[in-house]
Amino acid sequence: MANDVIDEVLGLSQGSDLFRLRVQRAELKHRTQTSYQAALKPSDPRNLSYAMRAALAARMARLWNSRELAEHYDQLLGQEAPDGVESAISDPKLRPEGLTARLEAIIRHVDLVTLRPKDATRADIERLYAAGLDDRDIVTLANLIALVNYQILVTAGLRMLRDN
Amino acid sequence: MAKEVVHEFTLDTLGWDPYVTPVDLDSATPQQLEALKVTPSNRKISAYVLVLAQEAEALAERTPLFNDIMYSEGGLSRGGRELGALAASIVNRCVYCASVHANRFIANDKLPEIIEEIYARGVKADLPEKYQAIFDFGVELTANPDKVGVYQFYHLREVGLSDLEILDLIHAVAIFGWANRLMHTLGEPVRGG
Repeated sequence: MANDVIDEVLGLSQGSDLFRLRVQRAELKHRTQTSYQAALKPSDPRNLSYAMRAALAARMARLWNSRELAEHYDQLLGQEAPDGVESAISDPKLRPEGLTARLEAIIRHVDLVTLRPKDATRADIERLYAAGLDDRDIVTLANLIALVNYQILVTAGLRMLRDN
Repeated sequence: MAKEVVHEFTLDTLGWDPYVTPVDLDSATPQQLEALKVTPSNRKISAYVLVLAQEAEALAERTPLFNDIMYSEGGLSRGGRELGALAASIVNRCVYCASVHANRFIANDKLPEIIEEIYARGVKADLPEKYQAIFDFGVELTANPDKVGVYQFYHLREVGLSDLEILDLIHAVAIFGWANRLMHTLGEPVRGG
């Protein structure tokens, strides 16, 4: 896995100004990477496979037009030997048919909390339980959505610093 | 007093009721106890953190990340970071997060009128120059991360923010893009009870 995903997707080389600026916040930079690892490649993926995590992350990156992160997650997904379903859900423009109720519920939640978190209510969590997710699955999914959205904002802000 | 769910922004101290079952400390795994930093003298853990402990591996990384973003030495002032956190929480309507960080902003910068204006006018708040630039950036990065560019950058530069201060602001806003998506979606703010 990459040394530092954000440096990699923004093409920050060791000598660049922005690379050196990030190093001034070494703990933050390190924990951003380890948090990514914990959300995408935890030691026990349990009910959300590595391929599914990468596919959902690619989808979220596309929802916010984060081209760099979408490319990164497409590559990660490719390394996980995805089946057709995972590839299809990695792009919100595709509308695959015949998904399981569980996966439909997961995708709906990912899209809602990525684009309009303010509209989320108790009923949205109840839908996840109704689709068969347990307590830990729901926290796993919430963490993944939160981490990827954090990464999207960090990447957008750093891109602004890099280009100005 | 019965508990009441709170939907409006407030400076009151609120509670938080989870929609998801928190980890029970008495049956927590060693990894969960480690991530929770539970010690015999510290067993007072909030319901929010006990919910997050369902995913101990992630929580163990997130806690130091959050603390470094909000409290590291130098760079953006404490009040500036709190204002970035608040801007995100206003856009994402995390009433609990807003209450905590509005109060911390006031405790630091002693300017309750800034919070009054933000609570009254939301993302259209009219603020003194430097606070305006910081708040507007937080709103824009949260609401439209794909639109942040040269305009936002020069607005921050005009009020004198250094590269390191801008870096700190980006992360203060982004970590609340994270925190709001947990706190506002996994439970609700309550008063009383």
